[in-house]
Amino acid sequence: MRRYIRLYLYFLRFSFSKAMEFRLDFFFRFVMDCIYYVVNILFFKVIYLHTPVLAGWREDEIMIFVGTYILIDAINMTVFSTNLWWLPWLINKGDLDYYLIRPVRPLFFLSLREFSANSFMNLLIAGGFFIFSLSQYQGTYSVGDLFLFTILIINGSLLFYCIQTLTILPVFWTQSTRGFVDLFYTLGLAMERPHRIYKGIYKVLFTTLLPFALIASFPVKVFIDGPDLMTILHISAVTAAFFCLLNFVWTKGLKNYSSASS
Amino acid sequence: MIKVTGLRKTFTSHKKEPGLMGSVKALVKREAVLKEALKSVNLEIQQGEIVGLIGANGAGKTTLVKILAGIVHPTSGDATVLGFRPWERDNNYRKQMCLIMGQKNQVWWDLPALDSFLLLKEIYQIDDARYKYNLAFLAETLMVQDQLKTQVRKLSLGERMKIELMAALLHDPKVIFLDEPTIGLDISAQKAVRNFMKTYQREKRPITILTSHYMEDIKELCPRIVIIKEGSFVYDGSLSDVQKMLGDEKVLSVTTEEKTFKVHVPRAELSVKTQEILSSNNVIDLNIQDPSIEDIIESIMRFGVGHS
Repeated sequence: MRRYIRLYLYFLRFSFSKAMEFRLDFFFRFVMDCIYYVVNILFFKVIYLHTPVLAGWREDEIMIFVGTYILIDAINMTVFSTNLWWLPWLINKGDLDYYLIRPVRPLFFLSLREFSANSFMNLLIAGGFFIFSLSQYQGTYSVGDLFLFTILIINGSLLFYCIQTLTILPVFWTQSTRGFVDLFYTLGLAMERPHRIYKGIYKVLFTTLLPFALIASFPVKVFIDGPDLMTILHISAVTAAFFCLLNFVWTKGLKNYSSASS
Repeated sequence: MIKVTGLRKTFTSHKKEPGLMGSVKALVKREAVLKEALKSVNLEIQQGEIVGLIGANGAGKTTLVKILAGIVHPTSGDATVLGFRPWERDNNYRKQMCLIMGQKNQVWWDLPALDSFLLLKEIYQIDDARYKYNLAFLAETLMVQDQLKTQVRKLSLGERMKIELMAALLHDPKVIFLDEPTIGLDISAQKAVRNFMKTYQREKRPITILTSHYMEDIKELCPRIVIIKEGSFVYDGSLSDVQKMLGDEKVLSVTTEEKTFKVHVPRAELSVKTQEILSSNNVIDLNIQDPSIEDIIESIMRFGVGHS
């Protein structure tokens, strides 16, 4: 484990020294992501002009929810997105070779080697808005609640990564460079809606098979309603299941990997 | 050591007719095409040996190397390298081998080589003393001491190849797979890489499998060669014995006013054939030679063993 942390510190160092060279890209990412944040915040602000409560949450509560999912989005943009962007190309073009021969878990290497230092500013802004939304919260909470919330946000980011990667890995079989990742972006919108708006089969779907509701909405539910063992167990079990599934599909995919001739 | 028994690899691809209609048809019904990249090959290589793997494009060289490096799973058959089954990807195996591909980079393109080396030190858990020693030894032998702090993308192709070699050898691998290490390099860089490999092989005694299209690489480095044709081994033996295979032949190199050509002639028919050629063409120049290793290998690759 310590070795993997040390490796990650190297990835960080490399990524920051590289990022200094591409200032224009830095600027565009910053502007694009800020627009995304503002649109999301305004979307709910407009809704609350018409109603005091939405899906059981007041405006100050929904702002914590918005803060949570833009924070998770920023974490994923910074930590995983560049890596996952290239992954289907590497698989499709048979360029995994050098990752597969190293005595390190290839998926660790491939998912984390590029820390997107260009998005780091956005991570700070998303984090800033998240803290601001907490400061506006009218309810009360303890340090313990905040700690649990942080853990659940990290868990949400991992789950987000697992689902996204699982939609990429079919590239091993489909030979296309996209896999089902477009489907992920479409369905990913489900993460940006409070879980209580889903009823019946959709509720089951978005909390089990496509667990987008567990990424941000459930952590906020635990924070606002107080810890509840069943919900925490549910989130942990689904995340663990998705993590195992990811490793399983990855191993199966590698058996199908044919590499490219030189 | 490396032991390969009955190793087979079949790739499946799908046939598609050109154009839009072809794509529509392929959506409804795809025709699978099986390609046998390796047809039940057997091989044994001892520690310290360096073996040249020769074959035309698509003959199966790279497939064999990639199976032995643990990148590709075989369809059937078995192989062990240092006692490990490569495709099981045991970390203890991966720590003892390396792969160098002339056409792919493994070092970080935007960073100085030394940064990539530090990462590799961590990946392979090389202790400080060994890292320092190997770094100094490799940089000195390859004469790249001054290039280690320059961004890799600013280096010449030859210098980059040397850096790739360093990166691959820092952890003292016991098995080395060298896939086209001199491809695209100028003559002096090719020579430098070859000389380095010679010194390295002599000093460290790893198992090395070298694939190359440059016969100079093979002639300089590999006492033993394996010739592979359409997925099967057609020759596995010493490089010097290859010459004996066609030892019964002479090669006539003929230049006429119109063209230059070569004719392989059995020794017994030499004088008859020479007279025939001289009388029927406007010959400017005629040379009688033993077949070169290049000629023989080309002939084996094209026609198989036993052709004369």
